[in-house]
Amino acid sequence: MNNKTKKKAARIALICTLAACLPGLGFILFSCGNKPDHAVAVSELPHIFPDYTGVTIPVNIAPLNFRVEGEVKSCYAVFAGKNGNSFSCSGKNNIRIKPGEWKKLLADNAGQPVSVTVFTRSYDGKWTRWQPFNLYVNSDPIDNHLVYRLIEPGYEKWHITGIYQRDLETFMEKPLIKNDMTDYNCINCHSFCGGDPKQMMFHMRATHGGTYIINGENIQKLNTQTEQTISHLTYPYWHPSGKYLATSVNDIKQFFHAVKELKMEVFDLESDVVVYDIENKAILSAASLITKDTFETFPAFSPDGKSLYYCSAPALPMPKQYDSIRYAILRVDFNDAHGRIGTQVDTVIPNTKYSASFPRISPDGRFLMYTETGYGQFPIWHKDAEIRMIDLTNKQPIDMSALNSDDTESYHSWSTNSRWVVVSSRRDNGVYTLPYFVHIDEQGNPSKPFVLPQEHPDTYDYSLYSYNLPELVNGEVTINPYAIQHVARNIPTEQVIFR
Amino acid sequence: MKRLLTGDRLLFLFYLTGCFLFFELNYRYWYRFMEQYNLFLFREDFFMELLGQPGGFNEYITAFITQFFLLPFFAAGSLAVLSGIIVCFFHLFLQHCGVKVSVIAAIAPVFLFWIYPVESIASIVAALFGISAALGYSYVKKPVVRYVLGFILLLPAYLLAAPAHLLAVALMIVYEVFREGKARFMTAAGLLLWALVIPLLAMRTVYVLSIREAFLSKHLYHPEYPIPVSFGYIWCSFPLVALLIYTFRRQKKVFNKEWMNAAALLLLLVIIMGGFILYKQHPLEQAYRYDWYARQQQWEKIAEHAGKHPVKDKDALVYTNLAYAYTGRFNEALMRIPQIGEEGFVSYAPKTRLGLIEASEVAWLVNHTNAAQRFAFVGVLSAERCVQPRLMKRLIETYLVNKEYQIAGKYIKILERTLFYSHWAKEQRPLLNPEKAASTDWIAQRRELNPVTDNNYDLTKALPNALAFLIDDHPENKKAFEYGMGYLLIYKDLKAFMHYMNLLKEKGEPIPTLYQEAICVYYSAVESNPEAFRSYAIDPKVYERFQSYLSQVQRLSSTLLSRQYGDTYYYYAQFVQSPKRQNR
Repeated sequence: MNNKTKKKAARIALICTLAACLPGLGFILFSCGNKPDHAVAVSELPHIFPDYTGVTIPVNIAPLNFRVEGEVKSCYAVFAGKNGNSFSCSGKNNIRIKPGEWKKLLADNAGQPVSVTVFTRSYDGKWTRWQPFNLYVNSDPIDNHLVYRLIEPGYEKWHITGIYQRDLETFMEKPLIKNDMTDYNCINCHSFCGGDPKQMMFHMRATHGGTYIINGENIQKLNTQTEQTISHLTYPYWHPSGKYLATSVNDIKQFFHAVKELKMEVFDLESDVVVYDIENKAILSAASLITKDTFETFPAFSPDGKSLYYCSAPALPMPKQYDSIRYAILRVDFNDAHGRIGTQVDTVIPNTKYSASFPRISPDGRFLMYTETGYGQFPIWHKDAEIRMIDLTNKQPIDMSALNSDDTESYHSWSTNSRWVVVSSRRDNGVYTLPYFVHIDEQGNPSKPFVLPQEHPDTYDYSLYSYNLPELVNGEVTINPYAIQHVARNIPTEQVIFR
Repeated sequence: MKRLLTGDRLLFLFYLTGCFLFFELNYRYWYRFMEQYNLFLFREDFFMELLGQPGGFNEYITAFITQFFLLPFFAAGSLAVLSGIIVCFFHLFLQHCGVKVSVIAAIAPVFLFWIYPVESIASIVAALFGISAALGYSYVKKPVVRYVLGFILLLPAYLLAAPAHLLAVALMIVYEVFREGKARFMTAAGLLLWALVIPLLAMRTVYVLSIREAFLSKHLYHPEYPIPVSFGYIWCSFPLVALLIYTFRRQKKVFNKEWMNAAALLLLLVIIMGGFILYKQHPLEQAYRYDWYARQQQWEKIAEHAGKHPVKDKDALVYTNLAYAYTGRFNEALMRIPQIGEEGFVSYAPKTRLGLIEASEVAWLVNHTNAAQRFAFVGVLSAERCVQPRLMKRLIETYLVNKEYQIAGKYIKILERTLFYSHWAKEQRPLLNPEKAASTDWIAQRRELNPVTDNNYDLTKALPNALAFLIDDHPENKKAFEYGMGYLLIYKDLKAFMHYMNLLKEKGEPIPTLYQEAICVYYSAVESNPEAFRSYAIDPKVYERFQSYLSQVQRLSSTLLSRQYGDTYYYYAQFVQSPKRQNR
């Protein structure tokens, strides 16, 4: 081996050695720089976004990645379960948890709290150890998919919108249908039959307009406007048998306020509630509430299918008295064998002081959750809108203050096991609606809500979309978006009848 | 040096210069306007989100370049450079095809960018990607390697810069036709098939896309509008030019001497470019110019420009009226420029990009904060990329005025991640502190004038009613008052005008000449009440001129009358027909 070759070999050996050492060196540097050393403990909870401190979470939820607010050079978090199993994560200012470790931690600690200790390092190199907080891992799983419409919170003009599903156990989001596939029409009011991903409906407005009812792989495209009803089917709710849809028919208008406290108002000039027979493609007059002197809207069946709940208010001249109209929640019997409603009307929630909307009964039939606001039936633009709930066994209200915020809470959907609810809330910034999850215990007590976790904690900061109509579904919706697109574009609408 | 400045190089330099001049002189403000419809964020996730879409990298590059359009000469410069690179690459490609052809042949397709100036440079950048891929393909001489490379290159061309793969495959096919190899048609068919299959594969595997988005990407043109036919012309022109050259490859040159051919081509180029520079202007360039001044709050510049040039369209007129209001010349100038009625004050039910910005500007002027916010919001939504930094700034301002600090903070955070809006956004951040906001003059002033009586009148559909509410709440809201009075005078509603004149009289403020003239008309033509007339402080000169008008109106010819009294309200009231009202 001559000198030249020796030198060359030595050079190669040196490079190889350095290359081999680099990952280890990097690991050492990285680890040393990010593990807290001589941290000063403070008795304050860490300022994190989203606020996951003290929340109750289902055993099957995706990792709760979060960001530490304020000027920090780096951060570090230790997750420790009461039943053992712990791990740590570090980052610049955000904590992104490995899904495998997270899943194991929750599985091992179902029904137990998991302690989270956050450390932050300031730019002068000093570490702070913040007051640890708990995540209460509830062994009740949540339905593993959430379906929502992503839309800019404008209502006057839509641009790009779509219905998406998110796997709650991971960060996977998939579109069910996007309006750029259907000529930028409006897609709205998706609804599932008792959380069944195979039975779904939604509407398209403008181009390719119609009500789309999906049952397995079968898609119906319907024209639901009839001479006897004032509009197409609007706000839907499935009968648990999957045979009927209760929906409102509404003549909807809107206007914009001039004063700073208020933004816009959505109201009905007229509205009724009808029941649609899916198999016979008919709106049933015997099961419909069509009156001139009252407005009826937002129907919902009880889980046993024997009662029909709906909102009702005396018909007032609109928009003149838009801020005087208050809706009560009423109930009538529903005979699902014959598709008829009873004659006796019970008042479940009176409209003496407030207005109620979105009645939703827990799948176990015990609780009625609804939205309460000062007036009207469209609470999304009402900052005073809050979630209320009564125990149907004794008609007593349950304190929901742990769930509500200073801003709007509006739409809500139950998990099929009746232990979880997703609620639309504008608590984050007052304009963009985000889905918050709440555990409801057997007595109906709500836990502190937590927002839908995202892989990157900054996602909500830069998103310009609202999560509209979050619906919990117990499985993945498997209908192919292109199948919906095909029906929308190529299949003519079928006219429903009124009988 | 002499060699450098001859033939093709000279033609190319002329082209670059002409291209720069054309876009700078005729489309400067248009491209500055279009800058508002991009928002380049310095965020890893922004890059990754775009990279995850077909053609997303092209959009990333487009947004990056477009953000600099705010700088002088940048838009024209970048268009010249981009099209210059396209010319060079296309010329090189033609040479690789084996034909010796003047650079003018490579310039011909890019002239279509002059005929059909694009709103976004996305299609130019995508064309550059496509031609680059084809050029890379043409460098490989070994057929099999070239074929394999072609198949490979089409995939990144699609993923990074769709529909660049379509242009690339068209040129690759042309190249194979030029090569006249045995397998040329098979190869061409294979490449074409692959280029068409890639988007379909993408649709069925990784993405859920509309067919248009799958082939042409999401951002090339406004997704809600049809693809302009110019896209087809421009993209087909490259392979067509190449095929034409192939067809006439044995054609002799017009002149025998090289310099004569070059001179003839140069002359042709100069004539064409000169014609474009002189005669092809954007029809709304004046409105875009005013929009640019309005963005800079340079209202004086709009007023000055409108004083020297005729106001060409209603968008420019809205800005002119806004500028006169901001510069305190509204009453003085109202009768000096042709008014078209309400539409000159604010667009009716605005839907266009300019209309929404103007509506927000007018609402901001008259202190209707909610309406300014609403139109800014709709303006952001209507933008093809759902972003509009200028209107986001307006949203932040309105949220600060309305004490909605959290949402203001959200938009501030977004703008802080930009290059050119971050400074402004950082300046607003301290205002998220309620105390700081309350003690900030412009916020405090606007809060003072915020409407207190609710009403549901849409400023753009019911201008007089909406203004009436603002004035009733705050008679000191001068801008709303001026706009309201301007409306009443233009529509000759002197009774309502006199109702509001009482507010001015009660405050003891000096009465503008325009109003004095209208008062003269009212008390001479509508209501004879000398005592009431005397209660208004009418300048004797104004009154004398009015009297003189009355004595001369029957005697003077219409031309003379217009010359002498054309700037007065009484002349307008008597001889100018009121504009038609919107069907409100």
